[in-house]
Amino acid sequence: MFQNPKKNILAVLLLFPTILLAHDVSSGDQVILNNGGLLSYVWVGAKHMLTGYDHLLFLAGVIFFIDGFKDIIKFITVFTIGHSITLIGGTFLEIQVNEYLIDAIIALSVLYKGFENLKGFEKIFKIKAPNLLAMVLIFGLIHGLGLSTRLQSFDMGEEQILLKILSFNMGVELGQIAALVPIIFLISKWKEKSSYKAFYKASNTYLIIAGIVLFMYQIYLYSK
Amino acid sequence: MKKIQVILCSVVAFVLLCSHDMFIKFDNYFLQPNTQAVLQLFNGTFEKSDNVIDRNRMTDVSLVGSGNRTAVDSTQWFEKDDITFLNFKTGNEGTWVAGLSTAARDIELTAEDFNKYLKSDGVLEILDKRKASKTLNENAVEKYSKHVKAIFQVGNKKTNDYNVNLGYPIEFIPLQNPYNIHPGHNLEVKLLYKGKPLSNHYVYVGKATNSDNKAETHSHDNGEEHSHSHDTSESSEHVHPKTEQFKTNEYGVVSVNINEQGIWYLRTIKMVEVQDENLTHESNWATLTFAIGESHGDEHSHNADDHSHDTEDHVHGEGTHTHDGESDEHEHEDGGFPSYIFWIASIVILALLFFLFNRKK
Repeated sequence: MFQNPKKNILAVLLLFPTILLAHDVSSGDQVILNNGGLLSYVWVGAKHMLTGYDHLLFLAGVIFFIDGFKDIIKFITVFTIGHSITLIGGTFLEIQVNEYLIDAIIALSVLYKGFENLKGFEKIFKIKAPNLLAMVLIFGLIHGLGLSTRLQSFDMGEEQILLKILSFNMGVELGQIAALVPIIFLISKWKEKSSYKAFYKASNTYLIIAGIVLFMYQIYLYSK
Repeated sequence: MKKIQVILCSVVAFVLLCSHDMFIKFDNYFLQPNTQAVLQLFNGTFEKSDNVIDRNRMTDVSLVGSGNRTAVDSTQWFEKDDITFLNFKTGNEGTWVAGLSTAARDIELTAEDFNKYLKSDGVLEILDKRKASKTLNENAVEKYSKHVKAIFQVGNKKTNDYNVNLGYPIEFIPLQNPYNIHPGHNLEVKLLYKGKPLSNHYVYVGKATNSDNKAETHSHDNGEEHSHSHDTSESSEHVHPKTEQFKTNEYGVVSVNINEQGIWYLRTIKMVEVQDENLTHESNWATLTFAIGESHGDEHSHNADDHSHDTEDHVHGEGTHTHDGESDEHEHEDGGFPSYIFWIASIVILALLFFLFNRKK
């Protein structure tokens, strides 16, 4: 399936139909939230996760590093715990952070993961990379703050606030699962192929580039 | 002698009070972050201010944004052509609220003027009471105070400050951010009286839209005494922007069908009878103004340099201000480039890197 590089790229496109959607969680979603009850919060949460490239890139970076279904579950669970804490807590306590700065830090998490996967710590700094599980938890907390900032930009009304936050969080988890399934499938399938090493290098180099570009872009928006 | 005094006071009082709603207004409700801006305080009708407001009458002037409430420096106020202005600097991006509350004043009115004012300003509960109790011929001494708010948008980011409760005796609190509302949707607004929802109460909603501006360019400069009917059926007699009558529901909420972009306002008066040897009634007045854009593209610049505040600019109220769709367009969508561009560029880069590394192996 993956022996022909052209087919590989085609497979990426076919497996990631959602990533071609625009990252437009905005006024249209406000209308959905105004009219749709708690389920609409689930939908908007899932949509944000599926179209939020920064979250997906970081998760893809995490999955590159780990082997085995058990480990995948472990790391994703830690990431989920991390982002759920700050998403629910931050929103409920109305903790507001600057959206550009938090997105800039999330971009750095993408850069970090690509750099770590390419053994940048060992090769450049001659040190061992920090404990991945701890880093995934920390970055999970940061991603959760980003999600919370997004949720707080919506008008949530005055009623059922906690339920709405939980519904949005549930949507995020569902979106995360929906995004992870094709990513895990693609990476695990490619691992069996001879071109995997090139794919691994290319993908993680891309994560570094994407992290830098997204970081600079968010800082540009912040300083505008 | 006392009768003459009452009549004289009443004439003055009628001119002072009749339809003297207070509004906080902006030339442009879409402002840029951290730039100079000007707030206008109208005391009269929504279209024309008839007199300025003394600083010592203002018991609270607040700006609320980014979760913070700040008191406004009274030295920044100035007056021109019966309008009170406030220079201020906008803060961070977000939805902001400006609020002002005045101290109470007393006013004496003859029975006839009082009845006329109750009718023209839509204080129909009290008018009905007077009819029912056959006290229409009784003069009134009323204690009144005004509590007004305006919601404006700074930059693109919508924040939750729009629903701040300033703790005024009477206050409108929107349940949705008006800057997230498009024409064709409803905006729910809660009316609080002494901190509690005020149910079954008349609220009047008006708007200054493009079509209104074109159609209604009459002047108030003739000095004629005029009463305002808030009955839309009588609107043909009158060239003010129409107001629509609403009644709050059991939760103190009115749901307004926002059918056009432009500047919208809500006004209400809560009056109660009082048992006091010097007073017969007490009233609290509230207004709320905000703007509705069609699509929220942010092409505005609004700073002090953009506006002149000469007589021509303001005497005709909304008629001389441009609030057309282009200038009021605000982009709701997230700032930044469309993500499909990001993904296409990403796939191209990924493919190039893959071919590069695959060739090297």
